[in-house]
Amino acid sequence: MIGGITCSENVGPCLIDGEFQTLTQLQMDTLWRLFQEIGRAWNDVYQDSTNLKSSWLELVKAKADNEPSYIGEYVNAVYVINELMEMYGDQAFGLLFFKNGIEEEVPVSRLAHMKKYVLDEFIRMQVLAGGFKHFGSEEVRKARHKNYKGYLGGSRYYRRSVVRAYVPEDEN
Amino acid sequence: MAKKDYEYIIAGSGVAGITVAKNILESDPSASILMLEAGPEIKAKDRRFWWNYVTNAKTPYSFTYDQKWENKSVGNTNYLSEGVRVKAYGGSTMHWGAWCLRFKEEDFNLFTNTGEGADWPIKYDDLEPYYGEAENYLSVCGDDSENWTRRSTPYPAPPFEWSEPDGEVIKAFRNLGIKPGKMPIARYRKCMTTGTCKYCPLGSRFNAQYVLDELRENPQYVNFKIQTNSPVTKVIASSKKQVDGIEYLDTISGESKVVFGDSVIVCTGAYEVPKLLMNSTSQYWHHGIGNDYDLLGRFVISHSMLMATGTSASNPKGWYQEYDFPTLMSRTYDTEKDQKHGKILLFKNRVLPNTDIAQLMIDGLTKPEIDQKVNGPMSFQLQAFMEEKGRFHNRLKAAPGKDRFGLPKTVIDFNRTEQDAKDAQINLDRMSEVLLEMGLKIEEKPYVQDPGGHHTTGTCRMGQTEEDSVLDKDLKVHGMDNLYVCSNGAFPTGSAVNPTLTLTALAIRLSEHLTSKKGKTSVPEKSKKSAPKKGKAK
Repeated sequence: MIGGITCSENVGPCLIDGEFQTLTQLQMDTLWRLFQEIGRAWNDVYQDSTNLKSSWLELVKAKADNEPSYIGEYVNAVYVINELMEMYGDQAFGLLFFKNGIEEEVPVSRLAHMKKYVLDEFIRMQVLAGGFKHFGSEEVRKARHKNYKGYLGGSRYYRRSVVRAYVPEDEN
Repeated sequence: MAKKDYEYIIAGSGVAGITVAKNILESDPSASILMLEAGPEIKAKDRRFWWNYVTNAKTPYSFTYDQKWENKSVGNTNYLSEGVRVKAYGGSTMHWGAWCLRFKEEDFNLFTNTGEGADWPIKYDDLEPYYGEAENYLSVCGDDSENWTRRSTPYPAPPFEWSEPDGEVIKAFRNLGIKPGKMPIARYRKCMTTGTCKYCPLGSRFNAQYVLDELRENPQYVNFKIQTNSPVTKVIASSKKQVDGIEYLDTISGESKVVFGDSVIVCTGAYEVPKLLMNSTSQYWHHGIGNDYDLLGRFVISHSMLMATGTSASNPKGWYQEYDFPTLMSRTYDTEKDQKHGKILLFKNRVLPNTDIAQLMIDGLTKPEIDQKVNGPMSFQLQAFMEEKGRFHNRLKAAPGKDRFGLPKTVIDFNRTEQDAKDAQINLDRMSEVLLEMGLKIEEKPYVQDPGGHHTTGTCRMGQTEEDSVLDKDLKVHGMDNLYVCSNGAFPTGSAVNPTLTLTALAIRLSEHLTSKKGKTSVPEKSKKSAPKKGKAK
């Protein structure tokens, strides 16, 4: 497993207690960096991720301000990211995303906690919020999937198709 | 007779209960109604819940689902109850799929046509105007050009389109003489952003919470009261013809309470209705109300869910089901001709083909690797609900003990026959033929899922006499003046389609009966005046 003594520390399987902390701007910046690095690592998603800041802020606020609070998990994620960057420099995020070596089924280490509660959720949010459009062959990307389960695109009062629709030839 | 506390006591706050309450109040805003709900109120319009759904697929109501230890299946076929009902304010509309299909004319004449099951004491034409009302009320988006059933009113909104992957199935359907159709789905007025509706952004599905909130907040409805955490434990009969009220448990305080009402309407679903009436013994009803002929809980009907999957080596267009509900269905095999051997509603699986891109990223795959997966092997699945026939020996009863909400546990004795398996095979072969026509490979043998409680019907059925049924054509317990049941349990047949639209139509019809009994304005006349304008058809 990548990382040092911080990443490997056993913090148990339960959600990490935030002990009434408030996220600082520095911590928020680190978390935002993680979100942007997801976009960079999977190439084309980056441009979209920079446009998602308000949604991302809402996600973090909703998870931090309501029970069960994620404050402890977010603070833990910053500890982990800082250690990885100290140890691996520019390679840190690539290792985290693609070669993290986590084998725990139930997360107990700080690194596994960070992956489950922060990284994996940021990935899901980024894909559902538009990232899904950037995958597949050139033909698929040109066809532009319009919707995705959980994606907020389109309107109920539709005049244009909200999905890639099938219209039988005899109805064209 | 002592003065009653309420004009109406309604047990249950799902779609049946709220539809009855709403229509009574629209006819008579001062009507006094007590609605009792066994479960809690789930917080709605909550962004944290929404994000929980988006990031973890967690819903805020799953704790209200039946647990394994709360229901027992003892027949030759395992009857699934876990996860099928939401026991909360708004009932199972919190999680339903919102498919809204009418029963067909022959569904009301199953016994006459096949010698099995039962006939309804009402016919399609009796319910047809109420189907139209129900479609307006639930905002069903449907296709007016369909002719699966006879309709006198248009759908209130246009249908959802077929998606591109549907096209492959449609071409095969047409080659095989199967007519494709668009699935009618109930969408509602506005998004509640509850995190309880997985179909965003395409308009939220109908949720009874909406209606309940509006009834509760309407200043005209000063005598409407809803009380959660209050399972009804007994209906109190004062004679063979009358009930006085009900007994319920306030699960928060632990107190058992009695309330008196002019009429009692039990809307607690096909599981709870027979258990409640069986528990309502007295000197007048030794075996429970409406159970002199030992019919309560019998004739359990589910849907046999048929599944057939085909795969193709590649997915050049990167398809997945962009909606999270099915848009393609067919009722070609849902006809009187198919009734004897199990008619089906055929539909394309709402999830496949699918590539879970986020999960692949979480698993550490790189972008080129995921790109390959998006265009890699894909699966299509056809599914079908096959009609089952009510049989006397298939029975649901109370088991010893209570669940977390103070409701009696359940035991279900459900048995399939060899003929059921043969009938299913005929339909599985039809489904396989479609997949093969599409050029797909069938690697997994098509199969029938265990039955489950999602669409349970028949446990407290309507009929002509007390010797063959519990309820009369007006949903009143035979021989009683003021006890009604509005539930899927009242259906004598289950048909091949989802029950909720028919239940809603029955609830509107019952409201009309109740209000006309009181000399108030009939509900359909009022509703027709305020029916929403039809949306622009595509």
